[in-house]
Parts: sequence; C-alpha cells; structure tokens
Amino acid sequence: MKVLNFYPERCTGCRECAMACSLVKFGECNPRKSAVTVIRDEFKRYEYAVFCLQCDEPVCVDVCHQNAYTVEDGVVKHDDDRCIHCRLCAAMCPYSAITVHGKDIVKCDLCNGDPMCVKYCATNALVYEEETKEMALKRKEMVERILGTP
Amino acid sequence: MLDRKIGIVDLSRNSVKIVDMPKDIRAKYLGGRGINTYLLYKLLRKGVDPLSPNNVLILGAGLLTGTLVPNSSRFNVSTKSPETGFLGDSNCGGFFAPEMRYAGFDHIILKGKAKKPRYVYVEDGDIEIRDARDYWGMNTNDAQVSFRKNLGDVEVACCGTAGENLVRFANLRTGVKNSAGRCGTGAVMGSKNVKAVVAYGTMGLKIKHPQKLLDVVKEVEDYILGSKLTPILGSVGTPLLYEVSNELGAIRTKNSQLNQWSDSLNAENIEKEVEKMIGCSSCIVHCRHRNKLGGEGPEYTSVGLLGANVGIDDVKQVIELQNIANDLGLDVSSAGTIIAWAFELFELGIINEKMTGEKLEFGNFEQARSLLHDIAGREGFGDILAESTQAAKKFGKKSEDYLIAVKNLPQSDPHDVRYIKAFALGIATASRGADHLRSRPTLEIFLRLPKEVKERIYGKGVSPDPTSYDGKEKTVYFSDNIFAVVDCLGICKFICHGFNSPHFLDYPRFEALLEAATGMKYGRRKMEAVGQRVVDTERMFNIRQGLTRKDDTLPKRYFDDPMPMGPTKGHHIDRNEFDAMLSRYYKLRGWDEKGMLAPSRVEEIKSVGGLP
Repeated sequence: MKVLNFYPERCTGCRECAMACSLVKFGECNPRKSAVTVIRDEFKRYEYAVFCLQCDEPVCVDVCHQNAYTVEDGVVKHDDDRCIHCRLCAAMCPYSAITVHGKDIVKCDLCNGDPMCVKYCATNALVYEEETKEMALKRKEMVERILGTP
Repeated sequence: MLDRKIGIVDLSRNSVKIVDMPKDIRAKYLGGRGINTYLLYKLLRKGVDPLSPNNVLILGAGLLTGTLVPNSSRFNVSTKSPETGFLGDSNCGGFFAPEMRYAGFDHIILKGKAKKPRYVYVEDGDIEIRDARDYWGMNTNDAQVSFRKNLGDVEVACCGTAGENLVRFANLRTGVKNSAGRCGTGAVMGSKNVKAVVAYGTMGLKIKHPQKLLDVVKEVEDYILGSKLTPILGSVGTPLLYEVSNELGAIRTKNSQLNQWSDSLNAENIEKEVEKMIGCSSCIVHCRHRNKLGGEGPEYTSVGLLGANVGIDDVKQVIELQNIANDLGLDVSSAGTIIAWAFELFELGIINEKMTGEKLEFGNFEQARSLLHDIAGREGFGDILAESTQAAKKFGKKSEDYLIAVKNLPQSDPHDVRYIKAFALGIATASRGADHLRSRPTLEIFLRLPKEVKERIYGKGVSPDPTSYDGKEKTVYFSDNIFAVVDCLGICKFICHGFNSPHFLDYPRFEALLEAATGMKYGRRKMEAVGQRVVDTERMFNIRQGLTRKDDTLPKRYFDDPMPMGPTKGHHIDRNEFDAMLSRYYKLRGWDEKGMLAPSRVEEIKSVGGLP
C-alpha cells in the first residue's frame, strides 16, 4: 500500500505543498488552512512537514462522537456534514496532524490517491510511495545511529 | 486576492487608517514596486529630508505574492533614500510579505515619527502601534527571535542597531538572511522610532480560477525544473557568478584597482560551508545556503564585496563578515564598497590616521569586522563611514574620483562593468543608483550566446559582442521593463526571462499566472506597459528631486582607468560611445535628450486616480 512519506533533508521550507493543498480544498492559498503544515524556524534551523499518517487505529475515529470519521481503503476520511466542529479530533491527534482554521477542520484524504502536496513539491521531500529500499536503508541507519555503531 | 488593504500608520499622531486599494492604481501598477512607487511619488514633496518625519516608508507586497505561483515571496520597501537623496527602493524575499498579505494588507505606509520606540503589529485586518522598548537596541537576529518568542509564529521585518543609529545604508531584515538591503530603508525605519513591522495572518488569498492556477503552475514548474540551469542555481546559488566574473577578469577587487582575485572564493569552496539549501516562500529553486557558521548565504554580492573588494580571500572570513553585517542590519553591498573606498583613500594618502584612528589596509579581516561594528554603532571612524557616499564631504573632493557609486549609491554588483557595455548602461540608468537588479542584462556575460538568441529577446541590431556598444540600449530597456513587472507581481528575478537564462518566465507566462490568480487580463503590450510606467514614474520621482542627465553616469574609474588584468585587460568605457548609447536609451524610453519625460506622459501618470 502506498503511503505519504516526508524526507526532511530535502525540504526547503517553501510551503508549496500547503499552498496546493489549501487551493485544492478551499480555492485559496493559505498555509494555515492546509492538511499539510510546514513547521519551520529559520533561527532554529529546521523545516518539517506535519500531516495525517493515516493510522491503523486512528484516535480521531475513536474520539469522534458524531462518527464524522471513517476509514476507507486505509484512508481516514472526515465528513464535514456530520462534523459539529468541536475540534476534539485535533486536540487528541497524537501527531497534531489535523488543522483547525476557524470552524474548518482540515484533514488529509490523500486527494483520492493523487496527493497535490506531492505533485507540487519541487524537491521530492513529500513522496507518495510503497515501502522502498531507501526507507529500509534509512531505518537501518537510524538504528545504527541510536546504537552508536560506526 | 484583490481585497487586501492599504494600512496607513501615522506614528506622530499614533493613529491608523485602513483603506481599499483604488482600482485605477491596481490596474496601472499591479502591486509591489509599482504601487509603492506611485504612492511614494504622490505622498512626498520635492526636497523632503529622508530622515525627517515627512518621509514615508512603504512596504508593498507583489500582486501574486503568497500564492502557489513559483517564487512568489517578494515585497518592496520604498522611501526617499537617506543614502542617495533619490528614489530608495529595495526588493526582498523570505516569508514576511506572504504573512503581511495573509494578515490582510498589500501595502503598509509608515509616516511621521513616534515619540518613543514602537513596533507595528498587523493581524487579520487590524493594525496596532505597540511599545517596542523591549526590542530597541537589539540586532536583527535577537529582535526577530524575541518577537517570535513573545508573539508566536509571526514574521518580522525589522531594523538593527544600524537602523536605530541612522546609518545611511542600514537595511530592513526579515529571517536569517533576507534583506530589503539597499538605499537605507532601515535608517528610515529607525528615524521614525520604529523597530519593526510584525505580521501574523490567517486570511488566505482567494484564487479566481483555482484549477486553472494549478494547471498553469504545474506547466511553469515543469518548465523551470526542466532547465539545466535550475539545479545549478539550487545547489550553488548566486556565488556561481563569482567564478564567471573572475575568470573573465571582471570581479571588483580592492575598490576596482584590480579586476581579478583568488579562486579560493569560488562556489565549490563555499559549498563546503553549506549545511542545507533552503527556499523562500513558494520557491522551487531554493538558492539560499544555510551555512555552518550560524547564518545563511553568502550571496555573490557578499563574496565579491566583503571578499575580493576588501582584499579578503578566505571563505569563512567572508561568511563571518556577511553574517555580522546581516545581524547589525547593514547592506553588504554598500558596506563592502564604502570600506574598500576608505582603504584605497588611505593607501593614497587622501585620508590619514588622524581621521581613521589607525592604519587601514586591504585584506585585514579583523579591521573589516570591527569597522562593521563601528559603522553600525556610529563609533569613531565608523561614524564617518556610516554616511556612505556622503562621507566624501569629509574626505574631500578628490575622494570622489575613487568612489564606485552612481547617483550616490555604491554599486551592488561585484561585477566590474568596464568590459560588458550593457552592464555599464544598466548601472548608469538604474532608478535607484548603481544597481544590477533593476536592469542588468545578465545574458551578456554568456559570451557565446548566438546573435539570433539575443535578437529574439532584445530586438534587432543587438551586437553579440559584449564589448560593443551597438544596440545595447535595447538589452537594458527590455530588462528594465520586465524586471519592473516581476517586482510588481512579487516573483523572484531568479526565474525571470533574461535574468539568468534566455529561457524562464516571459510575459505570456506572467499573463497566464495573473489571469488564473486574479482574473485580470493583460496582453503582452499591456503587461510591458506596466513596466514602462513604473520606470517612468520612478524617473519622475527622481527628476523632482533634481536628477538630470549628468546623474546617469558611471564612476570616474570606469571611464578613465583601463582594466589592468586578465582577458579584459585594457577595456574601459569610452565617454563618447557611452553618451551616444545613453541618448539611444533615452530615445527608446520616449525621454528627450536631457532625459526628461514628455509633458503629456507626466500628465498621464499624474492622472492615475484614486489616491487613498
């Protein structure tokens, strides 16, 4: 199954992902009204994209008392008609991946399998992909880093 | 998209007025630099003292700034320059301008002078004038970090101590590196007792035709990313031009006494100090170096002017000087030019230790570093250098012969323009003084560009030989117009046709992006006419301040001293040829032999309606 992956070392912090997302979903360019949020701080020297990881056991589905969340083919979907905009899902999401903008709840639905954030990312920092060799290698590197193995 | 307001902040009266953008101004000037220039022309009178409360400081975002449009991050800061006495205008990237738009404003005008230090806070349609005592005295990094600590995820455009101390080339800074660098914008902010404009916005920019914009941007993005040049710009950035200029024998060295310098400042050595390349808002090119010495950059201007021009050949030292200048809020172009000028004047005995307090020498890193601090603090000899080109009053008439400036503005481009004649005309006629970002026809540097390619871009009769004066007025005219248009739209020149590449975005693509985003329909001629109008309005501003044909000139050295080294050896600018080229440029612009606009054109521009 394909998943949305983020490679921070490739991210330049430009926010084209968020511009495209808000444009597709709301007809406006607004990085604060996007399902993908680029957290960046030039002075602390980082840029990082936060978005829904489509959990296997989604907290948002569990906590939503209006049943506004459903899981379809592995994608956690938000139904605005059922939603009463209480924002509990956003508060409870362990990854802070649900955006609240005024009354709007903005949640990644992977754009029906063709995520716009990926399409407009010029550096492939966001990729919609199957598990890759690169990711497996990355995992190995991470473990070795933690273990201090040269 | 077209609903963003103009905020007028009167610091003397401690009041704020918010007005709509008059439709006629929008239609004629689009946004950013264009609208700024028009407002500046209308709001100021002849002879206003730039550091008095009567001057204004205008921050204006481009019309497409903050959208999905690639590289649409930019804004202009416009004022009467305390450095030059003419038009002061500076274009800047980063994240501030999009935030100002999301906060509801396209233009913010600061007028008057606050009694005590203040900052201007802008959030979702409101503007407040707030106490800045906690931030006054801070340099630009500390100030921004403090604002963010106290106010959250805000974007800041602030001056440093250099601006507070009215250094005539103090700049406005946003982020670690981005600067509205030129013409002393920071000094004007400081003169108003304002530390910063701080923005936070959640109001998105409604797009007229969302799907169309997605489609047009995708096509534009593929086009730009498909260019061979883009990955180079995205990994090397502007320092690429150092090697190009140096190989040619056209890098300003030791105040243009020499024209070649060390290979040690080549981009490959700079890359060793780079941690990561990053971008401005909406940027797909990412030319910004996050360096390992705690800052960003260096850009080509820093490499040239805080390196070769002051006789320094160590990359780390150049980066350190640049990081310091940025933090203090000093323009690197003016700083590197003015310090090098003083070094040569000392060598020549035109100034001496009685004035400088110490022996000045090229290549002395410690000295350059302490001079930057002294300039920002206006201490000792730094107090004189803080006057920029106006230090000539202290140095004496003879010193002017060695000053690399036009219209009192030190030259920004580290490129020695004695060889490429189009570059010379560009800095001579640029509306804000010696500057490459107004009209430099960069393609002239690619010596083997076929005649057909040049003629296709600039028109018939442009000589392929960079040392020829033939037709070069056309290269400057084209660049002047299209650069004005990108500055109105808020797009970075890095992806503008003719700036780095014979490809990249030309008028038809600007038209398509503009229409998709706003619904405004502009054909090629109407779009270019905006650029012409901006250049003419800037000319009117300058003429009112006393500008004449004799101001469209070059540093004396470029005329009288042939280049001493390398492949360009022996080249200089011929006064008669230059004069003829200048006349041809005026003619192309519709200006008379004296460089004045036709009275009918002046009336036409004055009649643009709806001043707020």
